[in-house]
Amino acid sequence: MKAIIGIGLVLSLLIILPSVQYVLAAGDEPGEYLDRRLEIWGLFYRLMIVAFTVGTVVSGMIVWLVLRFRESNPKATPTEYEADGKW
Amino acid sequence: MSGHSSWPEWVYIGVVVALLCYVGAEAWNVERIVEHVPADAEIIKVTGQQWLWTFEHEDGTKEIGELHLEQGKAYKFEITSKDVIHSFNIHDYVVLLDAVPGRVNTVWFSPGDAGEFPIQCREYCGLIHYNMRATLYVENGA
Repeated sequence: MKAIIGIGLVLSLLIILPSVQYVLAAGDEPGEYLDRRLEIWGLFYRLMIVAFTVGTVVSGMIVWLVLRFRESNPKATPTEYEADGKW
Repeated sequence: MSGHSSWPEWVYIGVVVALLCYVGAEAWNVERIVEHVPADAEIIKVTGQQWLWTFEHEDGTKEIGELHLEQGKAYKFEITSKDVIHSFNIHDYVVLLDAVPGRVNTVWFSPGDAGEFPIQCREYCGLIHYNMRATLYVENGA
């Protein structure tokens, strides 16, 4: 059942998103004069901020995980499997 | 699992989803703004062929290897190709669009600065691709 709902959701998104795109983005009304250099490079810099933020958070979390859960960490405790001697 | 809190994971997922939504919305919005052509834009037919660019103005004037435009006016390029796929690029004005045989792709821009700007093919199109260039001359109309 969940799979059917999931597939239905994906299919409806595939229909809804292009429809919204068509209605809002491909309108016939004339555009305004603009400097596409400012728009496009501005977008590039904003997205680079997002990319570097995500990169910093993800790599920072990996470094923290590696340091925190290393065997030699004084705070390290055995997992329940290790404590039971199963491993 | 006892004593296990999952809220940091949900925060993490929430932040990532929010950032992805922001990226998608911003890119979509800028594309929407940039693609709307002003009503008074002059149409320039651009044809790529190995290994030169041809331009045709609305009044029928043709230019080969150079393009003369007026500063501050809007121009809509209708770009196509006679042979293989090329890519029309005016680097200084962030104009880049493929020229595909049998298809007309459109892009518009308004040159804000007077001067000479290089036009270059950006899709490898054969032996002389590296020299498939033209020059954009933006002239002060005042």
